[in-house]
Amino acid sequence: MASAEVGHRAARTFGAAPQGTARLLRVNLRRNSMPWILLLIAALFWFDSYRPSIATSPLYGMRTFWNLGQGHTIIDFGPFVAGVAAWMGSREGRRGLGDLVTTTARPRWAAQLATWAATTIWAVAAYLVFVCVMFAAYARQGVGGSPPWWWVAVGATAVAAFSAAGFALGAYWPSRFAAAVAAFGGFVAMALSSRTGFSHTSGWALILPTNSNGSFDGSVQADSGIFYPWLPDLPIVRIMFLAGIAVAALGLTGLPARAGGPWLRRAAVAVTLAGVALAGTGIELATTAKVAANGIVIPALHDAANDAPLAYRPVCGHAAGVPLCLNPAYARWMPNLTTALAPVLLEVRGLAGAPVRATQVPASYPSGNGGPPQVITLGGQPPVLRLSLGLVNLPGPCGFCSGPVVSKAFANQVRLMFAHAFAGAGSGRGTQAQQAVQAAMLRVAGLPFAAQPRLIANTEDFLASGPRPQPAPSSANGPVYAAAARLAGLSAAARHAWLASHLAALRAGRLALKDLP
Amino acid sequence: MNVEISEVTRRFGRTQAVAGVSLEAGPGVFGLLGPNGAGKTTLLRMMATVIPATSGRVRLLGRDPGAYGPRREIRRRLGYLPQNLGYYPGFTVAEFVEYFALLKEMPPSRVPKAVATAIERVDLGDRAKAKLRSLSGGMLRRAGIAQAIVNQPELLLLDEPTAGLDPEQRVAFRALLRDLGERSTVIVSTHLVEDVGAACGQVALMEAGKVVFHGTPEELIARGEGTGAAGDAPLERGYSAVLAAARSARAAA
Repeated sequence: MASAEVGHRAARTFGAAPQGTARLLRVNLRRNSMPWILLLIAALFWFDSYRPSIATSPLYGMRTFWNLGQGHTIIDFGPFVAGVAAWMGSREGRRGLGDLVTTTARPRWAAQLATWAATTIWAVAAYLVFVCVMFAAYARQGVGGSPPWWWVAVGATAVAAFSAAGFALGAYWPSRFAAAVAAFGGFVAMALSSRTGFSHTSGWALILPTNSNGSFDGSVQADSGIFYPWLPDLPIVRIMFLAGIAVAALGLTGLPARAGGPWLRRAAVAVTLAGVALAGTGIELATTAKVAANGIVIPALHDAANDAPLAYRPVCGHAAGVPLCLNPAYARWMPNLTTALAPVLLEVRGLAGAPVRATQVPASYPSGNGGPPQVITLGGQPPVLRLSLGLVNLPGPCGFCSGPVVSKAFANQVRLMFAHAFAGAGSGRGTQAQQAVQAAMLRVAGLPFAAQPRLIANTEDFLASGPRPQPAPSSANGPVYAAAARLAGLSAAARHAWLASHLAALRAGRLALKDLP
Repeated sequence: MNVEISEVTRRFGRTQAVAGVSLEAGPGVFGLLGPNGAGKTTLLRMMATVIPATSGRVRLLGRDPGAYGPRREIRRRLGYLPQNLGYYPGFTVAEFVEYFALLKEMPPSRVPKAVATAIERVDLGDRAKAKLRSLSGGMLRRAGIAQAIVNQPELLLLDEPTAGLDPEQRVAFRALLRDLGERSTVIVSTHLVEDVGAACGQVALMEAGKVVFHGTPEELIARGEGTGAAGDAPLERGYSAVLAAARSARAAA
């Protein structure tokens, strides 16, 4: 071994501490176990988060309902991140470096925090990269709307929280089994979160990271990111909750006597308490959540500016000469809608109550509040047809349906809802006369009577969130369909003339079956 | 004096590992000899501020290690090689030494040069980029020594530093010890008396938690002369003679 002149100690210089911390972080980043697990997470992310999402309609609200709304991106990352973080947290103890690290000047807590930070930087960066790659793929596929960045932030915070919790476990229990226990614990936490979250639409359970009952609606797709901004209220309280868990867990690692001096340990107590307070505040705020038309609102956090609709330049077409305008996010379905609406619009063209134009309006959240929602309404003077397309399954991949939605089925559903609105049946099934007119219009548009009961049942099943007020017709028999057959049997001119003279009474519910021709 | 220890004891439950030890050490190489279980490692761990003394007074580098602020100052000026060196197998030699240089709060601008120097001094320059998992036991020991000396410590504590080193490396290490001892206090715990003879100016011999001899290696040699104590070398005979006397006295008491 070579002898060398031992130099004098250099004076500690201003700014050395941050530089030293940065270098320590760099060493920890370079020699971290997290990158080794990222390939596995990437495969899981593709299989569990991305692959199911592309089987849904190409709208951000639908595409991200599964992976961000129900927290599958978090489920894919969380347990593995917790396990690796526990591995890193237990590293000193497992490797027998406790004594050596204790004899260094830098507080042990600071050294541990540097290791945790490096582990978390890898995990959170990977999470953000994976999500951004997924969004880039969505963009290439022409997915409509805007990405829910607030929910991405929730996911990133959740990853950091899993990392902190796993690291704390490893630091306190420096065993080779700490990683497996942390990963299993993370998985159980996610399972419990999902189990509780899906069934609770309000209260404390809204804080759970896999609870989709927020700006994501489990039964229908609201128009967040299309007509309204994604509301940040619920994401913010979830970020508070998850960040609180992370801060508290990191504070706990600073409590042991070896962690540092008295002031540092007092700071660790304060950090732990601050984390608990932050998480508790998040839960408390979640219990104050209220449902608004555009999503979940937390009064203490809500910014009214977020209620302002997003400006957009509509995309317009024509159906039977009637202008039809859609949000550009829905432009790809313009041909389906014009094809669906053309026969029924043709039937009523020229009538005093017929729509002069059709326009898309945002779907209201929550679905089915106060009865089944109406996808198509007709109102105003001159009458305007309003379409809440966010409430229906659109043609193409459907994701959580039994199969893709075919154009013909979609067209029949749109025609049914148009006829329903035109007859003035409202949110219920309408009077018998209104039902008969609806059936006749569908028959004239090409849907046989025999196929109508099933269409009505399927549509009501889809739209109704609770039990239906009355059972759907089981067959196309009875006085309603007899009257409908008579009306449909008239010539187009005769039907038109009858509707012209009776439309107001029909919509007011003053007509009986016997009044039909 | 860089090390002032007065009537220090350390208990682990019912076991008294160190029983009223008093020592003083200034710059130079100080050898701590003794059989297994004599309390050398416990005494060294107290000097390394890993564990506090149960009773007695310890002052290191003129500071009280019982108080946090002074303890941190001591640690900045301390180098320590534990008996069982833990390491991160995925780190390279350079990263391992750099890691501890940073934990010792060395000025970051000085770290790269200090790391390179420390690695060169333990003759691992050509293995600086090798992963620790790929090193032999002796090389690992040298990497441990490099991390201990990277901050040019004023107090260097080495627990069995030559364990696993081959004869050539051991000779080189003794030269390094003499060099370090010119301006620092180097305390070497060992059961190899030839290390003490070759490098130490002062030596203490521990037995059953007590210091039973404190003096120069020459004085230890003198204690063995004419006693017929076991040993191939004069220092070994002194070591055996002192131990035998201490054990007899203990048995008589």
